[in-house]
Amino acid sequence: MSEQNPAAHRDVPDELERALAAEVSLGARLRHVAVGLAGGCTAALIAVLWATEPHPLPTRTQAAFAGLIAIGLAWAAVAGWVLTRRRPLFARDRVLGARLALVAAVVTGVAGTALTAARASTAEALATALAGLTLVAAAGLLLVRANSRRRELLRLRDALRREAS
Amino acid sequence: MSGDGRCEGLLVVRCQLGERAAFQELVQIWHAPLWRYVRGMVGSPHLADDLAQDAWVAVVRGLTRLRQPERFAPWLFTIARRTVADHLRQAYQASVTSVQEADAVVDDPLSGVLTTMQVEAGLNGLPPLEREVLILFHLEDLSLATCAEVLGVPPGTVKSRLHRARHMLRSVLAERGYGHE
Repeated sequence: MSEQNPAAHRDVPDELERALAAEVSLGARLRHVAVGLAGGCTAALIAVLWATEPHPLPTRTQAAFAGLIAIGLAWAAVAGWVLTRRRPLFARDRVLGARLALVAAVVTGVAGTALTAARASTAEALATALAGLTLVAAAGLLLVRANSRRRELLRLRDALRREAS
Repeated sequence: MSGDGRCEGLLVVRCQLGERAAFQELVQIWHAPLWRYVRGMVGSPHLADDLAQDAWVAVVRGLTRLRQPERFAPWLFTIARRTVADHLRQAYQASVTSVQEADAVVDDPLSGVLTTMQVEAGLNGLPPLEREVLILFHLEDLSLATCAEVLGVPPGTVKSRLHRARHMLRSVLAERGYGHE
């Protein structure tokens, strides 16, 4: 049995514990949520700013805006990829992430609408408000789904605890 | 759900909720069986440490998608198996061979007489497929159905693979002077 005992009583190596602690860290996951939201919302606001310019912008400014929008969208895409493939959100993380998304969507929607109202026609302001509302609705739906999944898991956890005791 | 399945399920659900302490508990419970399986497959303890870590990272990343928490054990070993297979593919630059086997149920007189020590002593003399089924069935005490799930083959195939593995193991042990005849 000389080879079996070390395996059977093998402790979890410190290195593995550290790696897994980093892997399940709430901070690391929410940082990606924040980065994605910041990238996406910034891209949306710059797009509104560009679209509501009363006069045609110089080519260099247009290139700069296009570059900033592309960078924002790229960050949102990278964060989305990380969160779906490498660091998926657990139930509590999803609720927190969805709350952050709702706040960011509301701020972006209100800021975009205010910007359009001050610089463009009523029709354009309404269109921006509608886009903002769509963003807020999407974030609200995410929050509802995240809460529902969390409640479902909590019910399952409580049922399993009752059965176990 | 059995008592073990319930406790296992409870721990997995706590992890899915995001309770960080539950992850540590899960790893404490399952690291030794996982490591032993990997070590049995690759032979080297150091390599087993690395591959077990890779497998755990994959487990953590995939845990939110596990819809049947009580099925954690077969899911864990399936991931470990994939990690080992990926490693073997890279190491030997050859794909894991898929062996077509008969699904016939074979009555095996050796099934009850192999001890853990005998299995471990002869493991390194067996090819990967036979080694793997012996580890899962004899060392990890998984049921035939769970082994079938982990290996991705029907239970009848597991039985025939086990039968062949035991006979190969007996030959290996006899060659090494264990006198198991």
